[in-house]
Amino acid sequence: MKSPTRSEVMRHLDLVGQLQPAYHQPAQAPYPDDIDHEHFRALLRSPHDIGGEADISIRWEEKQEEQWEANTFATCECLAWRGVWSAEERRRRQNSDVGQTQYLGLPYYGRWLLSAARILVDKQYVTLTELINKVDEVRKRYEQSPSR
Amino acid sequence: MSKVHHDRTHHAKKATGIGDPQCFKGEAGKPKFKAGDSVRIRDLPDFFYTRCQTYTRGVVGTVTLAVYESPAAEDEAWDNTDKPEWFYSVKFRQKDLWPDYPSAYPNDTVETEFSERWLEKA
Amino acid sequence: MAKVLGEKKGAAHGHEGEHPPAPMVDEVSDFEVLEMAVRELAIEKGLFTAEDHRRWTEYVHSLGPLPAARLVAKAWLDPEFKKLAVNDGVKASLKVGVDWIKSPPTQFGTPSDYCNLRVLEDTPKLKHVVVCTLCSCYPRPILGQSPEWYRTPAYRRRLVRWPRQVLSEFGLQLPPDVEIRVADSNQKTRYMVLPVRPAGTEGWTEEQLAEIVTRDCMIGVAVPKPGVTSNVKMPVHRAVHPLQHGHS
Repeated sequence: MKSPTRSEVMRHLDLVGQLQPAYHQPAQAPYPDDIDHEHFRALLRSPHDIGGEADISIRWEEKQEEQWEANTFATCECLAWRGVWSAEERRRRQNSDVGQTQYLGLPYYGRWLLSAARILVDKQYVTLTELINKVDEVRKRYEQSPSR
Repeated sequence: MSKVHHDRTHHAKKATGIGDPQCFKGEAGKPKFKAGDSVRIRDLPDFFYTRCQTYTRGVVGTVTLAVYESPAAEDEAWDNTDKPEWFYSVKFRQKDLWPDYPSAYPNDTVETEFSERWLEKA
Repeated sequence: MAKVLGEKKGAAHGHEGEHPPAPMVDEVSDFEVLEMAVRELAIEKGLFTAEDHRRWTEYVHSLGPLPAARLVAKAWLDPEFKKLAVNDGVKASLKVGVDWIKSPPTQFGTPSDYCNLRVLEDTPKLKHVVVCTLCSCYPRPILGQSPEWYRTPAYRRRLVRWPRQVLSEFGLQLPPDVEIRVADSNQKTRYMVLPVRPAGTEGWTEEQLAEIVTRDCMIGVAVPKPGVTSNVKMPVHRAVHPLQHGHS
């Protein structure tokens, strides 16, 4: 059993790694002549194309699957089975279209799920309004009415 | 304004009982390359989507196998499946991929697949 | 941590000073809500049926590494079968009960795993290890679901460029003159490794041999050893709401 001191030491080592000097160059809405070829390529890169990038050693772990994750996988494969999309359309949307921030920031199956939601709207099988109303309806099933 | 009609049956019609990529067999014509050929990976523009890894661009490798015919991923990702290409497995020496690959491990390699458009004779 | 419904802050939803609601009986995350919404809408709109979803769930639940382990064991015992496995992985899979085309409910293969298994034969001078740098492609119909670590950006970034370092983290080190070949499954082919049969297994039955061919051996981050019948030991991140039938 790890001592409280050892736990704090390990957390400290992780945290101070995040303290970095940074020179922030204003980069929002640049002029075209400010973007050279290297930066053009970097901005347009497909987020999933990461082979060979530097990364640190992490603790390799197994993960117990959530019920919603298993359901999401089956939903995505059923959508492909019944021709709503192909697996490659799914990958393009899920691993590239989501953009750099969501690609690294969302959980793995979070991207699968968002892409399944998105295909329904993009191919006009549902309207965004219908999707939002459904999410709201499902949410309400799990909200307890406040006691007054 | 009419809604776009998506044919949800086309892949099942083509591939049921046959499999994918088997269902594209014979559609890509004559393969341009064969096992043993020396090829360089082209650095084509790749915005929006690619499955040709950036780490392979500009490197020379050896074709190990012509593996199957299929629409290129860049087309299949938009459901454009009319023009299948031959796909090839290509092997690279690690020392050719990475300038800092340790010379202590001279025989290490990487093998991965490319649709024909990504390859040129080297 | 995913936002959990039911933790309403009193100030946001009512008058100042109002008591917050009693704790939830069942708390669900944003992901769980969206998952239900998407599945219900898809079924309502006739895109697939509830029965389709149940059948797919059942099919996935039936998958695991045993057929692949048996394929390896058979290949070790029969040189002709080994040749078939290396030259036609799909045909060889039939011998262990896996029909890449017709086992899945689609009858045209699984949408994500296709029908082009390649079995990569290790030799004393050649060690294969598999990654999908672009996503997490994996030979599910014969090997089951991929492990979490296989899907991580860290594995996908590093294995193709620093294979020996990554393998050493899994406890595997190879002589410098051995060719370590990283197979990056970036298109429709799915790979499994056929490792070298270890010494100390002379006279073993197919079943005994299959027992030491673990999932990790067939990804290539481990090698089979007499007496070792489980994957590389590592921590398990527990689920908040795991699958109902107790599988992890």
